[in-house]
Amino acid sequence: MSKDKGFWPVIFLTLVVIVAIVALTLTNGITKDKIVQAKQDAVKEMLATLFPDMQSFDYDENTGLYTVIAGGEPIGHAFMAQGRGYGGAIDILIGLKPDNKSLQGIKIITQQETPGLGAKIINASFLDQFKGVSVDEVNLARNGGKIDAITGATISSSAVVEGVKEAITRELGSQQKGGNS
Amino acid sequence: MSSFAGNFTKGIVRSNPTFVLLLGLCPTLAVSTSLDNAIGMTAAFVFVLVASNILISLIHSLVPDKVRIPVFIVIIATLVSIVDLMMQGFVPALSKSLGIYIPLIVVNCIILGRAEAFASRNGVLDSIADALGIGTGFGLAILLISFIRQLLGTGKLDLFGHHLFTIPGFSDNPVAILMLPMGAFLVIGTLLALFKWMGVTKGD
Repeated sequence: MSKDKGFWPVIFLTLVVIVAIVALTLTNGITKDKIVQAKQDAVKEMLATLFPDMQSFDYDENTGLYTVIAGGEPIGHAFMAQGRGYGGAIDILIGLKPDNKSLQGIKIITQQETPGLGAKIINASFLDQFKGVSVDEVNLARNGGKIDAITGATISSSAVVEGVKEAITRELGSQQKGGNS
Repeated sequence: MSSFAGNFTKGIVRSNPTFVLLLGLCPTLAVSTSLDNAIGMTAAFVFVLVASNILISLIHSLVPDKVRIPVFIVIIATLVSIVDLMMQGFVPALSKSLGIYIPLIVVNCIILGRAEAFASRNGVLDSIADALGIGTGFGLAILLISFIRQLLGTGKLDLFGHHLFTIPGFSDNPVAILMLPMGAFLVIGTLLALFKWMGVTKGD
């Protein structure tokens, strides 16, 4: 029988696909828990850079709010923000002190800004400026706030600041609504 | 075994996938910003290429001609998915920095090219030699590009968190453009011209 006649090509391809499905199912079984664990570890590590004292955290899937816990007490909240940078979205993690009045700090999670210019937003010299700043004072210095923009990277700097401002307004706003109702 | 050695070495210089065949340039250009990325990419790439060459050379006499390409693609895609899942599970940091370029190995034309041009016409041993040779050629090329981009683009060399080398007085003001996509084109273009001029690679 020629291997190109009749239904053989169809059957052969189907067999190959079945073998592939079995192989992938097995791999998924081996790696599934590891991947969940790796993602958890990544989140924990990310939060721990803002809250060095952290022992554990809670995550609320509806609001996207992390509550950071140490010694059984909440020591702060964290949530994600997004800035519109020069090279695309900048993902930022914001940490708030427990009273929600000032910032614990921020961390850039992903960014595609220009290396050597905008990418300086990941430097400690820029990010450390956010530590302890009151939520009302998160603004570039020229707009009356406490944050100095990076020389030559105004768009990236203000993308971070605007992203942080927006996210804080959104989070605090939704918390107040939640508290009143 | 001379054909084994011959099939191995031809991939390194004479038909180097990056500098001679000019195949698979998309991932090469995109991830060659650091030596870590280059090594991770090479490992993933060599695994997929060797495994796909082995499987395809084993079954090639059974594969109906009409569905040849779909069968190869299913095999390659399965192998890539396995690598992707393994990386996410066991080396999450590397998986994050290589990002979309691991799934994109599926459409890396070097792998389908070797399946079609070599593995589907040769035995297992020769196909392994071919895969290792082409993989080595790819690895050397992407390492060379990454080395130049990382060294001149950041002024220093790091390898998996270990600091290797800093160019004194240069790291404050490196050639940052080399870290951008356009830097990849500049580096690869210069290397191609250089190799041709030196007579390492021959034009047709």
